[in-house]
Amino acid sequence: MKNRNDRAILHVVLATGISSVVTQLLTIRELLTQFQGNEIVIALILFVWLLLGGMGTLMARLVSRSQWQATVRRLAWLSFSLAAISPLQIIAIRLLRDVFFIHGSSVGFYPILGFIFAVLTPYCLILGFVLPFSLFVLRSKDPQYPGARIYILDNLGDVTGGALFSFALVFIFSPLQAIFAAHLPLLAASIMVFSARERWRPLPLLAAGVVLVLLTAGILIEKTSLQPPEGELIDYRESLYGRITVHRDREQYTLFEDGTPLFSSANLVMAEESVHYPLSQLLKPDRILIISAEGGVMKELQKYSPRKIDYVELNPAITEVLFRYGLVEKITGLRVIHRDGRAYLSDTNRIYDAIIVNLPEPDTFQVNRFFTGEFFQLARSHLSPEGILSFSMQGFDNYLAEPQRQKVSSLYNTAIDHFNNVQLLPGQRIYFLCSAGPINIDIPALLMAKGVQTDYIQGYYYGNLTPQRIERLNALVDSTTPKNFDTAPYLMRIMFQQWFAKFTTSPAVFIIFMAVLCLIYLIRITREEFILFSTGCMTMGSEILVIFAFQIFFGYIYFQIGVIITVFLAGLLPGAAFGRRLSGRGKHLLPMADGLLMVLMALFILAMAFVGERLPVLFFLTFGFLISLICGFQFPVALHLCGDDNPAATRFFSADLIGAACGTLFTSILLIPYFGLLPTAAALIGLKLLSIIIGVTHEKNIATSLSIL
Amino acid sequence: MKKISRRRFLYCSAAFLSATLPTCPALAFGTKNRQHSGADDIRGRVFKGDAPKVLWKWSKEGFLYKKIKNGKVICGICPNRCVLAEGDRSVCRSRVNINGTLYSLAYGNPCAIHLDPVEKKPLYHFRPRTTAFSIATSGCNFRCLNCQNYEISQAKPYEVRSYELFPAGVVKEARRAGAASIAYTYSEPITFFEYMIDTARLAREAGIYNLMISNGYINHKPLLELSSVLDGANINLKSYSDTIYRKLNGGRLQPVLNTFETLHGQGVHFEMTTLVVPGYVDDPDMIKRMCDWILNAVGPDYPLHFIRFFPRYKLDRLPPTPVSTLEQFRDLALAAGVHYVYVGNVPGHDGNNTYCHNCGKLLINRRGYIIPDYNLNGSHCKYCNTAIPGVWEDATNNSV
Repeated sequence: MKNRNDRAILHVVLATGISSVVTQLLTIRELLTQFQGNEIVIALILFVWLLLGGMGTLMARLVSRSQWQATVRRLAWLSFSLAAISPLQIIAIRLLRDVFFIHGSSVGFYPILGFIFAVLTPYCLILGFVLPFSLFVLRSKDPQYPGARIYILDNLGDVTGGALFSFALVFIFSPLQAIFAAHLPLLAASIMVFSARERWRPLPLLAAGVVLVLLTAGILIEKTSLQPPEGELIDYRESLYGRITVHRDREQYTLFEDGTPLFSSANLVMAEESVHYPLSQLLKPDRILIISAEGGVMKELQKYSPRKIDYVELNPAITEVLFRYGLVEKITGLRVIHRDGRAYLSDTNRIYDAIIVNLPEPDTFQVNRFFTGEFFQLARSHLSPEGILSFSMQGFDNYLAEPQRQKVSSLYNTAIDHFNNVQLLPGQRIYFLCSAGPINIDIPALLMAKGVQTDYIQGYYYGNLTPQRIERLNALVDSTTPKNFDTAPYLMRIMFQQWFAKFTTSPAVFIIFMAVLCLIYLIRITREEFILFSTGCMTMGSEILVIFAFQIFFGYIYFQIGVIITVFLAGLLPGAAFGRRLSGRGKHLLPMADGLLMVLMALFILAMAFVGERLPVLFFLTFGFLISLICGFQFPVALHLCGDDNPAATRFFSADLIGAACGTLFTSILLIPYFGLLPTAAALIGLKLLSIIIGVTHEKNIATSLSIL
Repeated sequence: MKKISRRRFLYCSAAFLSATLPTCPALAFGTKNRQHSGADDIRGRVFKGDAPKVLWKWSKEGFLYKKIKNGKVICGICPNRCVLAEGDRSVCRSRVNINGTLYSLAYGNPCAIHLDPVEKKPLYHFRPRTTAFSIATSGCNFRCLNCQNYEISQAKPYEVRSYELFPAGVVKEARRAGAASIAYTYSEPITFFEYMIDTARLAREAGIYNLMISNGYINHKPLLELSSVLDGANINLKSYSDTIYRKLNGGRLQPVLNTFETLHGQGVHFEMTTLVVPGYVDDPDMIKRMCDWILNAVGPDYPLHFIRFFPRYKLDRLPPTPVSTLEQFRDLALAAGVHYVYVGNVPGHDGNNTYCHNCGKLLINRRGYIIPDYNLNGSHCKYCNTAIPGVWEDATNNSV
C-alpha cells in the first residue's frame, strides 16, 4: 500500500512538472502578445516566475516547521488548484490587460511588472510550494526519503512538458487546448493520490469535475477572449513565430501580430514611400527583393513592371493571411520565400537592383539584425553596381528627439561604411536610401519623368519634405555615434533607454531595490546555498544569453524559446542523476563543477567572438544542455553535503530558484543591454569564480550558517 | 478575541490571494467597453521642486497669474490652473515658480521651426497656397496618448535642442521666408503664451497673419487678449465626450467648447479638427451630438476636419480608422448642416476638396498641398457668387 501511495505522489510530481512547463511557455507567449515582445519582457516574466516559485518554496519551509501536517490529501488539493488556476491564468492575462490598462495603449516597465506579478502569483506560489511539500509527504512516512529523487522527477516532468510543447502541442493546439491536454495527467494523478475509498467521495469528485469544467471552458472561450472591442476578429492563428489575428472594421482589414497592428489595407502613405523613394532612383528596376511588406506595396511595385520580385517573409502564416484578405496583392513576377531575410541573402547568389526592407522599428534583437553593419555588407554584395538598399525607422513630424537622433546617426555611420551615398528622407518614418551611385531627392520630379502616378508623393512631398527639412535632418547626423553591429548592438541600448523614456520611467529604482533584497538574502544564506544560488544564476544567465544570441543570429524566438527552455531543463535530469550517484565522493565535487561551468562559459565567449554568425543552432542547444547538466549535478551533491533534511531541501530549492531569478533579471535588464553579450558571459564566470573561492576557502565550515559576506 | 499568529496570517493571506485573483477574469467579460478600461483620467501633475534654481535667458514673467500665501502662485493661462509652490514646475512643464513669481521658460527658444503650406495645419479656408512660418517650443497642458509631437510636447524646455529666436527675430525670419503667416503650432502654443502673444503683436504690425494650432485648452481672459491679434486658428475638438477627453487626453471638454464660442464671438476664423480614434471617437451618435452643438453654438460656417487615426506614441495597438468611417461622419455632419466638412490623412480623397455650400460646385481641388483648380473670386464662389467663409486671397478681414 505504501509503495502504491508513494508512486501516486511521484506521479503528481511528474505531472506537475509536465503541466507547469507547458503553462510557463504559454504564459510567456501570452504575455508577449499582450505587451511588447522585447527581450526585457521575456526576462521579466522568467524573473517573476522564478522568484514567486522561490517564495512558494520558502513558504513550504515555514510549513515544515509548523504543526500543519504534510498529508496526501492536502497535496491532492494543491494539485487540483494548480490544474484549475492554469487556464484561468491564461484567460486572465488576455482579459485583465484591458481592465488595468487603457485599451489600445502600450504599457511601460513598472505596470508590466506589476501585472505579471499579479497574474502569476497564485499559480507560481502554489507551484513552488508543491515540490517540497510532496517531499514532506513522502518523508512523513519515510524520513530518509531522498530529496534528490523529487528534484530529478520534477526535472523529468519539466523536460517532458517542454518537449511535448515544443514538438507537438505548439503545432496542433491553440493555447487553451494545449493547457487542457497538458493538465489531464495532473488531474488524473491528483485523483489517484486519494485512497481508493476516498476518491469516490463527493468532495474529490466535485473538485475534479470543477477542474475539468474549467479546463474545457478555456477551450470554448478561446476565440471569444481574443475578440477586439472595435471591429470583429475574422482570422486567428497561432503561428510558430507569433499570434496572428485579422480584424475587420467595415471595409478595412488589419493584421495584428502579437497585438501590434502590422498591415492595414489602404495605408497608402507607407506603401508609396517604401516603394517609390528607392525605385524612382533606378533607370529600370527589374529585380527587386523586399524583406517583409506593407499593405498595398505590390500595387506600387507593379507600376515599374519589374521582371522579378522576391518577397521574403519569415512567417508563412502572415503571407497566407495577407494574400487571403488582399492586404498584399499577387502580381506577375512575384516569388514568395518563407525564410529569414538574412539567411536567404546569405545563401542566394541572386543580384538585385533594389533591396527594400520593410521592417518595424529595431526594438528587438531579431529586427536589429537588419540594421547592422553585417547586414549592410551582405545587402551590398547582392546589389547591382547602381543598386539601392532602402530601409526606414520611426520618424518624426517636427522635431527629432535626442535618442532617435542617436539611432539615426548610428545607422547612418554604419551604412556609410558600405555605400558611397546614404541619403536620409524625413517624415513619419525616416527613410535611408543607400547606393553606390548618386541619389536624387526630388522624387516627384523623378516619378513624373517615369510617368509613375502617385497620390501621396506627388501631392504632399514638396510640403512635407521641404529641402530645409531634408537638409536639417541630414545635418543632425552625429559622426561620432558608435556603429551598430550584431554582437555590439548599439541601437538596442538606445532602444531600451527610449522604451523607458517613453513612459518616463527608469529601471534604476527597481534594479537597486532588487539588488538590496538580493544582498540581504545573500547575507542570510550559507555557503552551500550561495553555490546553488550562483548555479541558478549561471543557468538562467546562460539561458538568457542563448535567447539573446539566438535572436541575434537566427532572428526568431517565439517558437524556439520552447526548445531552448527544454534543452536547459533536459541537462538537469542526467546531471542530477549523476550527482546523486557521486554525491558521496567528497566536498571537492562542487568547486570542480564550478570550474567546469567556467570553462564552458569561456568556450562560449571564444565561439561567439571568433565564429559568431556561423555557429550552428546545435552549438547553442549543446551549450545549454551542458550548462544545465553541470548545474543539475550540483544540486544533489550540495544536498548530500548538508544532510538532506527537510529544511535543507527547501533552502536549496529556493536558493536555486532565487539565484535563477536574479540571473534572469540582471543579465537581461542590466548586463546585456548596457555591456553586451560577451561581458555578460565574463560576469557569469566571475560569479562562479567567487563561488569557488567561497567553497574552497571554507571547506571546513560546511553546513554552518555563517554568512558569506 | 483570539489572536492570530503571524504564520497563520501569512497562510490565510496566501490562501485568500490564491482564491480571489483567478476570479478576476470573470470581471473582464463585463468590460468590453474600452471607455471603462484602464485609468479614467490621465491628466498631468505639477512637478514638485523641479524648477531650476536660476532663470535662464529664455524666461519671461507669466502673463496671467495670481500670488497666494506662502509664496505660492496660481497660473491663469489654462484651465489646469496649476498651483505652484516655490520651486515647482507646471503641468505643461514650461512654467515655474521662482521666489513667488511665475515665469515662463519658453520664450524665444523654439525647438522646431519650419516653413509649411498653410493647408498642412490644416487650414483650408485661410489664404490657400500660402506658407506659414511655423514655430513651437516644448510643452503641453495635455497628455494625449496618441500625440504626434510627443518628442517636444512631453518634454521640458531644457530637454530639447532649441534655437534662439526672440519675437522680433521670428517676424524677421517669417518675412525673409516669404510666409504670409506665422503659425504657433506643433506642441501646444498655449504653454508658450507670452512668446506667442508678443510675437503676434509684432507680426500684426508687420502685416503678417497669426495662426494658432491648438487644443483650445485656454482660459477666457488670455484668449480674449490673444484674439485681438489672432487671424486664424485650428482647434482640436478631440471628441465630444468629457470621459474620452479625460481618458485619452488628460483634459476636459467644456473649456475647449468655451474656446470655440470665444473665438466665434471675437470674429476669429477657426477650423475644427477631430481625430477619429477607432473604439473611442468613432461613435456616430457622438458625432451627431457634436454637430448639433457646433450648429447651435457657432453656426455652420466653420470648417470641420475628420482626420484618419494611425497608431502613434502610446496608442499604438489600435488599427487605423477605416476610410468609410470618416466618409460616414462627413456625410453626417453635412446632413446636419455644417457647411464645410473635410476628410484628412487620406491622400487623393474627394473629401479634401472644397465645394460651394450653396451651388455644390467644386471651388478648390486639392491634390495634397497642390491646388490645380481654384474657383473663387475673392471670397465668393465663382459660379453662384455666394460668400465663402474664411480668409481669402483678396480679403484681409475675416468674412465669417
